[in-house]
Amino acid sequence: MLKNYLKIAFKVFLRRKFFTFISLFAISLTLVVLMVATALFDHVFGAQAPETKLDRTLGIYMLQLRGEHSQMTGTPGYGFLDRYARRLPQVEKMSIFEQFNYKDAYRNGEKIKLFLKRTDGEFWEIFDFKFLEGGPLTAEDEQRANFVAVINEATRQKFFDQEPAVGKTIEVDGQRFRVIGVVANVPLLRLIPFADVWVPTSTSNVKDYRTSLHGPYQAVLLARSQADFPAIKAEFASRLPGVEFPDPREFNQAFSGAETLFEFVSRMLSNDQRENHPTRLLAALVGLIILFMVLPTVNLININVSRIMERASEIGVRKAFGASSWTLVGQFVVENVVLTLLGGLIGLLLSLPILRLIEQSGLIPYAEFHFNHRIFLYGLVTAVFFGLFSGVYPAWKMSRLHPVEALRGGVR
Amino acid sequence: MIKHLLKMVWNRKRTNFFIILEIFISFLVLFAVIMSGVYYTDNYRQPLGFNYEQIWDVNIHQQGNNTRADKSGPLVSAKQVFLAVQEFDEVAGLAGIGHAPYGGSRSTGAVTVNGREILYGFNRATDSFKDVLGLEVRRGRWFSPEDDAANYRPVVINQKFSREVFGDEDPLGKLLGDSPPAPRRAPEGPREREMRVIGVISDFRQHGEFAAPENFLFERQSVNLPQDRPPAELLIKVRPGTTAAFEEKLGRRLQTLAQDWSFEIEPLSNMRESSFKAHLAPLLAAGLVAGFLIIMVALGLTGVLWQNVTQRTQEIGLRRAAGATTQKIHTQILGELLVIASFGLLTGVLVIVQFPLLDLIGFISSKVYLYSLLLSLALIYLLTMICGLYPSRLATKVQPAEALHYE
Repeated sequence: MLKNYLKIAFKVFLRRKFFTFISLFAISLTLVVLMVATALFDHVFGAQAPETKLDRTLGIYMLQLRGEHSQMTGTPGYGFLDRYARRLPQVEKMSIFEQFNYKDAYRNGEKIKLFLKRTDGEFWEIFDFKFLEGGPLTAEDEQRANFVAVINEATRQKFFDQEPAVGKTIEVDGQRFRVIGVVANVPLLRLIPFADVWVPTSTSNVKDYRTSLHGPYQAVLLARSQADFPAIKAEFASRLPGVEFPDPREFNQAFSGAETLFEFVSRMLSNDQRENHPTRLLAALVGLIILFMVLPTVNLININVSRIMERASEIGVRKAFGASSWTLVGQFVVENVVLTLLGGLIGLLLSLPILRLIEQSGLIPYAEFHFNHRIFLYGLVTAVFFGLFSGVYPAWKMSRLHPVEALRGGVR
Repeated sequence: MIKHLLKMVWNRKRTNFFIILEIFISFLVLFAVIMSGVYYTDNYRQPLGFNYEQIWDVNIHQQGNNTRADKSGPLVSAKQVFLAVQEFDEVAGLAGIGHAPYGGSRSTGAVTVNGREILYGFNRATDSFKDVLGLEVRRGRWFSPEDDAANYRPVVINQKFSREVFGDEDPLGKLLGDSPPAPRRAPEGPREREMRVIGVISDFRQHGEFAAPENFLFERQSVNLPQDRPPAELLIKVRPGTTAAFEEKLGRRLQTLAQDWSFEIEPLSNMRESSFKAHLAPLLAAGLVAGFLIIMVALGLTGVLWQNVTQRTQEIGLRRAAGATTQKIHTQILGELLVIASFGLLTGVLVIVQFPLLDLIGFISSKVYLYSLLLSLALIYLLTMICGLYPSRLATKVQPAEALHYE
């Protein structure tokens, strides 16, 4: 049965090549846009090295302080995280680190732009960096404030031209560090682990960072499993009312949360950033995709409707021999889905070079799009949806042709 | 004629409905992209108000609170920083500012005039700022040491702001705002005093060429007294021929002065380039997507019209047999298309007219709005006509005889 449908479908595609071309062109380019968008989304939120344990990682990324007259929103300080986010139940490992910071460094009078991140030792146990040489920072480095650094491949290239870097020193931000490890580049859009140079937090030249509520710090929590997320979130939330403020007249309430990156983004996009609304963000994204797909869908419906008469004699014969409207609807929808899947395949093949192009353009530093099964799956699902949506109305219209008129060659 | 065309379109309303829907959506998409493009172009053509060439920006991240233990003043004062920079031969001029041009940060304020709230962007600048950036003073004067003793807050505003508040009157010496503004959060600063306009500049568009011109106000940043803190950004006019090597020299000098701060040095022309990229990249992406959608619609429309014409062979043959010229067939096919397109566009215009009515796009001037509206209308009409050309040529080739014994 299905084999027959497919056979007929391909015969029809070949009959009017111009129309098949228009349909395939529209479908494939629509899916290219969607797949590039999906790849970008996956690039930011999907699990990929070094964030391989993303499914059981929560983070504390922001803190809002509120008082009678003023409020302040930003990243938490080391003091806040150290005091209120340590020893949460079911948390295997916890790391406090600085947000990456832009720094200038120089080599023979030439400026090198760098992003510096200060971390503790556990950071290197939670994230799976790929080491090209040497090893990570350790808890001991952090304790003793050793001036040691892990650098990425690009930085090694800039400072030492491809030669081994371990044991050599680099100067960043007026401080000298001994290189102890070199890791593969981390894309900029992996906002949490990203940096060019990682050094121990204790080497910071800001003297009073350990006590402040507000500062440039963030924390990640590695849970035993995803099932423990609610307990961790609840425990952290229950500690917030107990936060002690140095000057209660200025601020007396703290809002924050242990959350996933997607929840964090939904919090930043919400009105007052006191709560996160991941479902709303998801709905908005899906809405955006649907909005984008309306035009291609209407276009395809239009083409399909105008082609009904091509099939008039076939429909007439099938109906005369007793095929029900539903069978015909099924057949035409299958045909349309086959066409969209074909377009989807072309779209997939087209989006690969486009993603390479974005990678090489340097618009997103160190971007690397891995074409994984997730993106392929999203693409497949959208293609099928697209095929169903644009196929149903024309198929229904086709199936309603009167057999006699259809056999005659049809009226309007 | 038009009545007849309307009837023809109405008779095929179900087929035409989807074409109208398609044109309607395409029009909305095209309008959104064209309006952004026109908006940027319009902004780009307005004078910038300052000169960015040969200017370097030094961003000073002042970590810690920079206060002496006995709170008698800053550990590192503005004067020390200025002296350190000015000792280099490469430096032709030096100024301090709160937010650098083309930078991401900004401050805004609001002032109430005759009960109406007027928003403005604002910045603090030193006395030397005008000459370093080449601002054009239209009336009055820029800040100078004589303002040290003023018992009011001297401010310099741009012409747009002056027109908005004072109309054609001379703003010099006038107070800005009905009553003193609410105290700002600067506990150590002096009590808020009333703002008095001492000068008008042609403009200062801090966010660069693509941002909309806005009301702008400068306050004075003093750097001569020992208790003055360093400004957040320094702007250095370098002598011609200064190379990037000077960056390292300057960076090291500043670093020795304030060890726990960090300094970011960047030529303003580079910052301008990145700001251009940040503005244009989203527009380019949207333009690409819209362009693809429009091409897709055009191809689809051509296909549908072609199909329609082949289905109407009999009708067209009959008209030809009854003596209609090819010209008349052309007119009919394109005329019908015009009517269909007009339906889609009319619905689109009805939707788009809501935007200014509901005040959703307040920042867009009516000139930009109208211009984009007309441009999108013209483009869609042009596009549908192009799509109709080939099918209507096909229609004129129908031979009456062949058409009439179709069955």
